[in-house]
Amino acid sequence: MNPQVAPPRSRSGSIPAKAGVGLRFRHHEEVLESHPAAAWFEIHTENYLGGGSAPRTLDAIRRDYPVSLHGTGLSLGSAEGLDPGHLARVRDAVERFDPGLVSEHLSWSVAGGAYLADLLPLPMTEEALAIVCRHVDQVQAFLKRSILVENPSSYLQYRHSTIPEWEFLALVAKRTGCGILCDVNNIYVSACNHGWQVTAYLAALPPSAIGEIHLAGHAVRRLDGGGTLRIDDHGSRVAPEVWSLYAEALARFGPRPTLIEWDTEVPPMAVLLEEAAQATALIDEAEHGTGRARAA
Amino acid sequence: MEPAAPALLELQRALRASFLSYGDGEISVHVVDAGIGAGERLDIYRNTFASVLTNALRLSYPAVHRLVGADFFQGAARIFIARHLPTGACLDDYGGAFPAFLSGFEPASSLTYLPDVARLEWAVNRALHAADTDALDARRLAALGDAERARVRLLPHPSLGLIHARCPVDAVWRAVLDEDDAALSTINLGDGPVWLLVQRLATGIDLRRMSESAWRFTAALCAAASLVDALGEAPDLDAAELLSEHLAAGRFAGFHLNERPAP
Repeated sequence: MNPQVAPPRSRSGSIPAKAGVGLRFRHHEEVLESHPAAAWFEIHTENYLGGGSAPRTLDAIRRDYPVSLHGTGLSLGSAEGLDPGHLARVRDAVERFDPGLVSEHLSWSVAGGAYLADLLPLPMTEEALAIVCRHVDQVQAFLKRSILVENPSSYLQYRHSTIPEWEFLALVAKRTGCGILCDVNNIYVSACNHGWQVTAYLAALPPSAIGEIHLAGHAVRRLDGGGTLRIDDHGSRVAPEVWSLYAEALARFGPRPTLIEWDTEVPPMAVLLEEAAQATALIDEAEHGTGRARAA
Repeated sequence: MEPAAPALLELQRALRASFLSYGDGEISVHVVDAGIGAGERLDIYRNTFASVLTNALRLSYPAVHRLVGADFFQGAARIFIARHLPTGACLDDYGGAFPAFLSGFEPASSLTYLPDVARLEWAVNRALHAADTDALDARRLAALGDAERARVRLLPHPSLGLIHARCPVDAVWRAVLDEDDAALSTINLGDGPVWLLVQRLATGIDLRRMSESAWRFTAALCAAASLVDALGEAPDLDAAELLSEHLAAGRFAGFHLNERPAP
């Protein structure tokens, strides 16, 4: 455990503590042609692992903007181990795009050699903790750099879980030296779905490990059985409650690179930049102490 | 009584099984109820699994999707997905078995051209996402002596695809994607087979018809036949001209020299 991994490298492409936006295919042309005033872009790693126009476009965008690689396919929580072929392709992308940050999720997606196309919830057990830590160690050693691990949204909990998710995430960071990608919308969604206390969640995360914050919209779904679940669909503006929680996170953690994610019915870049401007205003408040009081 | 805590491997296999059966199965006893049943909670994940993979298929097979309609496509995709799960997280690579699946899919049996349209779409998809590789420089071949040239086995560019279809699926594909009903109505499926070459160029996808002999010669080269053996597939062909066209268009990425035959 706790292998010797390089700290995040300081380079021209490092991600600033400002608000960036998730880059989707529909924005490629606009970004190349009009160079919107985004502080940085984050891409989904799995969309750029082949050849052809998408990675070539990203090469061009990367020359003008810092870029972060956000993966959904490493399946850090799979009991059967990591897919070495996929890990090698991720490494190739890291070498090609030289991202400021590389991140993945506290979840699993692979069972019996099949990719199940979602970020599936882990039981919060000592066994799962050991498996996730082993895989984060392997990824960091292979990539020769530290990664960030993101808290997922979840819609179920397992009966045999014994560790609160916030403690589990902090332990992964402590044992592996990885950073935490704190998705504030996911905290809010999961907290509503499971009755967690959002402030307790934030308070459990070590500020020094927070390398990035995610913001996104979510939906409220009424189920046939009469219950309600909040769904992390990345299909709307950030909810007011999530903005409030974000301000609280900034007060605790200080200014951090922050991302506006939008994946369903992706709007024009201008809408994403509006959301990013709102986040940047809160970062500025946190930085200059003009907003809420800083956490002691 | 509380169910025994499953090992993580066991839990993950049970969840996978519930995805494939679209039923709760043994996984549900391990899920906290808390006012919303395990089935409704699992449905959130099952629906994402099915919709993400169905959407991946739709993106790779847009003409098939339009030909059969959204509902039919979704129904076929659900059955396909349960039989052919992705083996990797890069969904551009997912769905290569869909054309063969459609060949045996009884509800689509009246659309005899559908599997061939799907095979063409898969070749296009592979061409779009194939690895970037430099094209073979023809001067490297020209520099070889006669003895070495006889041992040459060409390596096709990863974006190159060759499709033989029983009817003019290239015309169907274009008309469907252009939503050109007038063009579609003029296509005669009885016009006979087409021999197609698909390739990614810097400007986009190049799809062209070839003569049967040129196609057979090219297919033999792609299957690592020697130039002499490939010519045996198409003795009436101006192979030198076709080969130089292939090389100029970047359709081969390299070559290796076959072992000398044992004396």
